[in-house]
Amino acid sequence: MTRRAEAATIVAASGLAAFGVVLVNLAREGGVDAQVGLTFLVFVIAFGGVHLAARAWAPNATSLLLPPVVALTAIGFLEVYRLDSGRAGLQRWWLLIGASLAAVTLALLSTHTTSILRRYRNLTLLISVVLLLLPNLPSDWAVPLEGLELNGSRLWVVFDLGFTEMRFQPAELAKLGLVIFVASYLADHQRALREAHRRVGPIRVPEPRQLIPLLIAWGASVLILIWQRDLGASLLLFAGFVLLLYAATGATGYLVAGWFLGVFAGVASFLAFDHVQRRVVAWLAPFEHYQDEGFQIAQGIFALGTGSLSGAGPGLGRPDLIPNAATDFVFAAVGEELGFAGTVAVIALYALVVAVGLGVAFRSRDTFRKLLAAGLTLVFAVQVLLIIGGILRLVPLTGITLPFMSYGGSALVGNMILLALLMRISHEEAV
Amino acid sequence: MGVFGAMGVLLLAVTWFQVVKADDLRSDPRNPRPALSERGKERGVIITADGTVVARSVQASDARSFDREYPQGELLAHTVGYTSFLFGESGLEAVYAEELRSRRDLTISDLLAAVLGRDLRPQGLEITIDPILQRAAYDALGENRGAVVAIDPRTGAILASVTKPSFDPASLLADDASTAWTTLLNDEGRPLIDRATQELYAPGSTFKTVVTATAIDTGLADPSTEFDDPAQLELPGSTATISNFSGQPCSDGATATLLQAFVRSCNTVFGDLAMQLGAEEIGITAEALGFNREIEYPWSLPEAVWRTDDLEDDLAALAQSGIGERDVRATPLHMALVASTIAGGGVTPQPFVVRRIFDSSGETLEETAPKEIGRAMSPETASVLAQMMERVVTEGTGRRAAVPEVRVAGKTGTATGPGGFPNSWFIGFAPVDAPTIAFAVLVEGSPVAGENATGGTVAAPIAALVIETWLAGEQ
Repeated sequence: MTRRAEAATIVAASGLAAFGVVLVNLAREGGVDAQVGLTFLVFVIAFGGVHLAARAWAPNATSLLLPPVVALTAIGFLEVYRLDSGRAGLQRWWLLIGASLAAVTLALLSTHTTSILRRYRNLTLLISVVLLLLPNLPSDWAVPLEGLELNGSRLWVVFDLGFTEMRFQPAELAKLGLVIFVASYLADHQRALREAHRRVGPIRVPEPRQLIPLLIAWGASVLILIWQRDLGASLLLFAGFVLLLYAATGATGYLVAGWFLGVFAGVASFLAFDHVQRRVVAWLAPFEHYQDEGFQIAQGIFALGTGSLSGAGPGLGRPDLIPNAATDFVFAAVGEELGFAGTVAVIALYALVVAVGLGVAFRSRDTFRKLLAAGLTLVFAVQVLLIIGGILRLVPLTGITLPFMSYGGSALVGNMILLALLMRISHEEAV
Repeated sequence: MGVFGAMGVLLLAVTWFQVVKADDLRSDPRNPRPALSERGKERGVIITADGTVVARSVQASDARSFDREYPQGELLAHTVGYTSFLFGESGLEAVYAEELRSRRDLTISDLLAAVLGRDLRPQGLEITIDPILQRAAYDALGENRGAVVAIDPRTGAILASVTKPSFDPASLLADDASTAWTTLLNDEGRPLIDRATQELYAPGSTFKTVVTATAIDTGLADPSTEFDDPAQLELPGSTATISNFSGQPCSDGATATLLQAFVRSCNTVFGDLAMQLGAEEIGITAEALGFNREIEYPWSLPEAVWRTDDLEDDLAALAQSGIGERDVRATPLHMALVASTIAGGGVTPQPFVVRRIFDSSGETLEETAPKEIGRAMSPETASVLAQMMERVVTEGTGRRAAVPEVRVAGKTGTATGPGGFPNSWFIGFAPVDAPTIAFAVLVEGSPVAGENATGGTVAAPIAALVIETWLAGEQ
């Protein structure tokens, strides 16, 4: 695909978002309003901006990433707008901020190249850890920067500006920093990790001391689970790390060890924490606990079933019956209003993004860039699998957002930067 | 790659929920979406044969949405039902939801249908209920709890299906309907239960019609056959006895004819007769009359019960069941079918409520053709039984069902009821020579009906009013 075709798909997908708003307006019988033009404009400016930034600073970047991302953002925006038009207005601002930061990322890396990320990996780790710990700031101290607990998880930071307050989830940015650190660490130690194996019969087993990084990541995930009660981030971090370790070394031993550690932590946390128990109960028997724990999942399933093949149509279903639909259950909302056609399209678009991301990783000759691209893509993929799998009752539901689709500023900003990083890597490798 | 395998699993799961299980999930009673999406949309009209509207949608004041109205209120609540976005649907509103719904809801298939010129406006129902008869039966029940079911024995059309106490379906449509719903659920009179078709009662002596039909049909007895006439019937293998309502012998204390026993509703003779016939023979007649089987109806009916297998080895229970007590159970609708079968010369009709379905211009789309469930007794047996039932009204326990210048046939019943208050029954038909209405009246035992309520004193007068109203309307 050429850059020109990319630009055309951006305009088309922006039109899709605007057309979705038209349909929602019509369904409400309130007449078409200015939101339509505004939405089209914001999408064209945001993604057109990223497109122009790529032309300027990463001209050889793959042009296969941006189009599916714009389409996913458009479909997600349509449902967020349909569920809560006030939040959709905010989401547009976040989209502009995210696109600006993506452009800034491309600009910065054009002068320094991605190797700068490798050079400052310890600083990146420090910043990421600080970001992760921010929500644990006291909620009631005098400083305008405070931690906040919402829906039982401690994920938020409130930045009190006096006239208004800004909320964000620093974990969304920390996620990127951690992937950068791990990719760089593994790139340096890849040979040692790969060759340090013992053979027990036919099975290659890593040296015990090579398991130390794995255990550290595992410990960090468990700590997040205890301190912030965030099952999603914890799982995401651990799964992403294990997969990246496997990608770097090709040793299935890490997958097996990671699996056992994960299951062990899962069972232990199920026994220890009632918020994990509630999640598991809601996962296994949502309809038996329809009135309380299972209500959200049951409503999500009803939404999907009622949507059936072609869906109710934008604005014509009742995804608003699902609690927290705009943040946690956008996928079910798509299923209800756009039907099986919509959900299959969404899954296919995510598969496309993941395929292009992994393609970038496979073609990379530089180990760090290879691992960074793989890591970013795998974290993205795990996130998609965990949240959609949670809605479809394949895994317990976690509070993870659906990339580019859910309402949520920090997530959108984080994912836009992730997109910029992948584009930059593909540019550097294409030279 | 594992990641893409996992994506494939997502596709399978989404196929499972959105394609394979979609219909189940959509119609799950806990899923509020179908009712919510129907809220405010136009629904089809439900009318009676004379054009009386029993359910309709009228444009709301904002001119964009529709409100559902039930002009007859409590009168037809259980048959017509309601469609509430809070509590779902019931009655015909639930069963014919698909026909009654507007197809103008902008789905792709509906748009296609519109392009192809199909009518998207909701269809209407015409029901067989006669609103005047329904009203008369409803008023006749007064403050009593009970039911009246009337059938046209020539077709099986349900002419009246009254349940008391009832409720106003409109009270379940408003936004604040939750309080009304809770009140109805907690009401000890259980107004939401359709006593006419959903509640099983011991039929008492009205079941003697079934035993008599069996006796005549099998040739075991005719109206003049004589039976022993003790004051008390000792039941074999048991310390229990059966005695007559009066506590006296049926006739002279020596012998009584079957006709005498039927007209005076003597339990001793019928206990004896049931034991002579055996559970199986009575069961054959009962099953042909609709017992122990599913009967097609807009909604599912509980099965009327005659326990052939259990009664075969238990003569005492068989004798007690022969007089409509112990293990026999039937709904008022089932007993109306029994009366209708006798009136119709022995053939049990298939009951139906919806006469036709029509489109928005009134054009008939579907019409119900009368059907039969099967033959329960020979025409001769039915005719002899009809004459015996006429004697019940002219000189027996059912005299208060008499209507001047009309030949009425009937059978009373008084059965164990709730809290020591007896349930009163009357089943019958008229006119005897060419019946146009068959019915069952049930008055549940309660302080309103009294401790001394009997089929002859409480239910028979209601039957007389029903017959009078019907025949007056026919002319």
